[in-house]
Amino acid sequence: MSVLQSNVPDGPLSEKWTRHKNNLKLIAPNNKRKYNIIVVGTGLAGGAAAASLAEMGYNVKAFCYQDSARRAHSIAAQGGINAAKNYPNDGDSVWRLFYDTIKGGDYRAREANVYRLAEVSANIIDQCVAQGVPFAREYGGLLANRTFGGAQVSRTFYARGQTGQQLLLGAYSALMRQVAKGKAQIFSRQEMLDLVMVDGMARGIITRNMVTGEIERHAGDAVLLCTGGYGNVYYLSTNAMGCNVTATWRCYKRGAYYANPCFTQIHPTCIPVSGDYQSKLTLMSESLRNDGRVWVPKKVDDNRPPSQIPEEDRDYYLERRYPAFGNMVPRDVASRAAKERCDAGYGVGEGKAVYLDFKRAIEEQGEKAIEAKYGNLFHMYKKITNENPYETPMKIYPAVHYTMGGLWVDYNLESTLKGLFVLGEANFSDHGANRLGASALMQGLADGYFVAPYTVGNHLAANDLERKKIDTKNPAFDAVEQDVRGRIDTLLSIKGRRSVDSFHRELGLTMWDFCGMARSADGLRQAIEKIQTIRHEFWENVHVTGTGQELNQELEKAGRVADFLEFGELLARDALAREESCGGHFREEHQTAENEARRDDENFAHVAAWEYQGDDVEPVRHKEELEFENVQLTQRSYK
Amino acid sequence: MSWVTNAIKSSIGRKFLVACTGLLLCGFLVAHLIGNLLMYIGPEVYNNYAHTLHSQEYLIKIAEVGLLVLFIAHLWLAIEASGRNRAARQTRYAVKKSKLPNRKIPFAITPENYMLVSGIIVLIFLCIHLGDFTFNLTMPEKIEGLEPYDKAIVIMRSPISAIAYVIGSLLLMWHLWHGATSMFQTLGLRHPKYDGLTQNFGPVFATIIGLGFATFPIYAWLVPYNPPAPNPDAPEAHGEPDSHSMNTIPAWQPASDRNELPG
Amino acid sequence: MKLTLHIWRQPNTEADGEFKTYELPDVSEHMSFLEMLDVLNEKLISEGQEPVAFDHDCREGICGTCSLMINGQAHGPDRETTACQLHMRRFKDGDEIWIEPWRAKAFPVIKDLVVNRSAFDRIMQAGGYVSVNTGNAPDANSTIVPKQNADLAFDAATCIGCGACVAACKNASAMLFLSAKVSQLALLPQGQPERKSRAINMLKQMDEEGFGNCTNTNECEAACPAGISVENIARLNRQYVSAVLTSRD
Repeated sequence: MSVLQSNVPDGPLSEKWTRHKNNLKLIAPNNKRKYNIIVVGTGLAGGAAAASLAEMGYNVKAFCYQDSARRAHSIAAQGGINAAKNYPNDGDSVWRLFYDTIKGGDYRAREANVYRLAEVSANIIDQCVAQGVPFAREYGGLLANRTFGGAQVSRTFYARGQTGQQLLLGAYSALMRQVAKGKAQIFSRQEMLDLVMVDGMARGIITRNMVTGEIERHAGDAVLLCTGGYGNVYYLSTNAMGCNVTATWRCYKRGAYYANPCFTQIHPTCIPVSGDYQSKLTLMSESLRNDGRVWVPKKVDDNRPPSQIPEEDRDYYLERRYPAFGNMVPRDVASRAAKERCDAGYGVGEGKAVYLDFKRAIEEQGEKAIEAKYGNLFHMYKKITNENPYETPMKIYPAVHYTMGGLWVDYNLESTLKGLFVLGEANFSDHGANRLGASALMQGLADGYFVAPYTVGNHLAANDLERKKIDTKNPAFDAVEQDVRGRIDTLLSIKGRRSVDSFHRELGLTMWDFCGMARSADGLRQAIEKIQTIRHEFWENVHVTGTGQELNQELEKAGRVADFLEFGELLARDALAREESCGGHFREEHQTAENEARRDDENFAHVAAWEYQGDDVEPVRHKEELEFENVQLTQRSYK
Repeated sequence: MSWVTNAIKSSIGRKFLVACTGLLLCGFLVAHLIGNLLMYIGPEVYNNYAHTLHSQEYLIKIAEVGLLVLFIAHLWLAIEASGRNRAARQTRYAVKKSKLPNRKIPFAITPENYMLVSGIIVLIFLCIHLGDFTFNLTMPEKIEGLEPYDKAIVIMRSPISAIAYVIGSLLLMWHLWHGATSMFQTLGLRHPKYDGLTQNFGPVFATIIGLGFATFPIYAWLVPYNPPAPNPDAPEAHGEPDSHSMNTIPAWQPASDRNELPG
Repeated sequence: MKLTLHIWRQPNTEADGEFKTYELPDVSEHMSFLEMLDVLNEKLISEGQEPVAFDHDCREGICGTCSLMINGQAHGPDRETTACQLHMRRFKDGDEIWIEPWRAKAFPVIKDLVVNRSAFDRIMQAGGYVSVNTGNAPDANSTIVPKQNADLAFDAATCIGCGACVAACKNASAMLFLSAKVSQLALLPQGQPERKSRAINMLKQMDEEGFGNCTNTNECEAACPAGISVENIARLNRQYVSAVLTSRD
């Protein structure tokens, strides 16, 4: 039997969560104030969990590396949030949302978790509206919906192109209310650098105050990691500059298992890279493909400007290859197709871009109609590229956007370390191998508002933590703090010749070239070797300026890049071990004759969870077999 | 009543009171201007008005005290707020530029940036004005016993006074340019339908008031006028007035011309 | 292009700061402004000097972290643009650029161009929320909001909390920031129960933080990267005065 106990309750799918809630142990209302909960990260998952737990009466300490809890990167989500409300009366249901999410994830997610996600999705919208989140509305004053990829119903709630911002500010305001009440404390500009385990349970964290450089100890009865994804291992991604893997990676090194790190989502429509100095990629919403047509020239190295390339010399390759879905194929398929054309030499711009053309849409619908739909996106594109997409086609290219993998958690969102809960993008649980649009916001808020507050209470009650109080004088803190200090001192003492960014960039290129949109066994082996080489050079030749006792952005970056350099290798190992193509993971060895992904349900319908064994020792790969009792596994086809 | 003091101490409460007192002072300006405009109808009308006004002894006293309170409140609140506003930024910018489309010059000399300065200059002018007309301090011997109309003309025919009155009126205009628009925003009176109206109210109102008051010293210089003797017991000071010839020579003519007049 | 940069350097809050001048010979017009600073820092590190500390995170104009006064203008010369969205094509060869932190008593400098904006969080704590606990919300469509009000509330809600309004205001006033939140919630039915206490308490906190008063110069609106209108300040004034006159507290 596997060491991974998913703790999924028995019973029919639709009753599991209700039954489970009925069986969870409770803490009496006036006893809740005796417990301290640590929440790391204040995005949708962290902000929602911190606010909800504080409302219930627990004492919450919330940490974020940003200068304010309101700046977590959830704020950048554009499109919307799914919920099975069926307001448009088009036949949506909890089951349909569940089914679309499982299928969209290429059957690599746990049924019970996904069903619960669909179940609580409706409560999220209620909660957010009550907080004053200004969702889009119809003229009658009721909520409006739109359609997103992978669904045949309109179930996406949105607030123009800033849904993430509005939802996050809702959670943030709820958290601020708790701060005012004295139930929650915010520790901003504080970075978690390690986890403290006492008697086999997560009981505290070590942080660095990024303003004073002080190393601080914080003790609690449970630790919630809500620290987002690891997309920045690629250096260039749509993540914020500060997004990092450090919190989850440190927990992995303390014994938590890392699940499916190779499941990364590459978004097909981003503004392409230009120059070596580029620091960040910008997403253009998926909705653009509703009216935009993707093409490249038919001739290799055709340097004519797009307006001078006649129709007969253009290759609308998505329409050609996928006549049924055309330009609206899912993200993974569209991304791979763009890469295939560019690798074959048909790319435009600097060779790493394809055109997204609105000429026909403008001819058919008029510029006004297109402006009404996409005006803000066109404006943003022009701001960045200085080209007018009404006149000349956009240049786009895929970019790393979201990571489905994360720390392994059971049905309670508890990791393999007792008392360590992982929420939102930081865990692996709900999106399988590919996430559908508008589902990330749903998952973050579901975990934070409606799941963790119950399951954390169960952990506190079941383990009798009231009688196991500890404080930061516990010797376990001494040891971990020493580790943290040692690492910082080492980083500062190397004084080599290369900047932190140069290593990060080199790692990113390696990851993108060998663990990007298409992966091969050979390439992955090379990648592992290269990452090890970069890592070794990093620890010998990195130059970190300044001291540890001040605001030192180079030191912050160095710690994060050091962890990415270890994590990248695990990602490559996971990709190497998964001998199939599914969702965001495409292995060149495993494709059909038409270059489509070939899943291997017989051998790989499982979650891979990696256990740390020590530095420079190969980690152990555990399996959690996925059982599909309610859905039939089918091969996705978009022809 | 602590809510009252709290509200007055708050930033919005304070500027709300500045706006309210400003609004009432605007009302005074309008009344004052209309009264003064009677000069243009004729000395008798104006004198009548002045006498009637001053015969309301108690009302005048109440009005004077009220105005004094308004002025002091307006000024005190503004000076206090200004001090706090300055304290809110201790280190100045080395370079500062506006992002408003119609304001490209650094530290543009725009009314809203110099409300305190223009307000204080207007205050100084007000003191002069009160000294001239209410307390009869500047030229007591010249205006003693004169009818209100004559008194006004005599005072404003002095070159220093004339310049002071024109400058004072124009600075008042400058002050009102921002103040009379800004008060709508401060009082919360904003709606897209009426924004055009309120945006233009300040400049139009300021122009009417400012230029309106500025016409009086100019009129005093342009008008052919022969002041009656200030002291009827000392006729030798002016001799026998030749009203016909005096009336033909306005004040702006060179002094040499006037010296040649029969005296 | 070649640029001369005058950058405010200040080791910590207590220390005195000063401008230091740097020459940057090879700036591509395709760089964003922050990428230009990255290049400068890379150069400084290679010369063994301390890189310039500046705040930034999402680099797509939504998180509100970046906060630079560029040639005397908050977020640089373009309207409705954050410093991270500003591109170097806006400048020309030989330009001199002055870069300063937000300057306000309520935003003390932490280091170089990094300032402490936690005062904004405390203003929010004073009432920038609707008191609703998780789980006790009614069905979302049981509350009807006229579309026009929802749109106006949304416009106010897009504030990114960057502090450009404070930086641009000659009085370092946070009135636009405050009014955006008060307006958003005043325009929605959900915000009505706490309408009065919200306006009074949030304003009190703003005053206590040491921000200046509003003198209606509209500089905040011009500097705001989210395009928040000063109409919200008028609404705040209305809300505040009516709250003071009618609340029972």
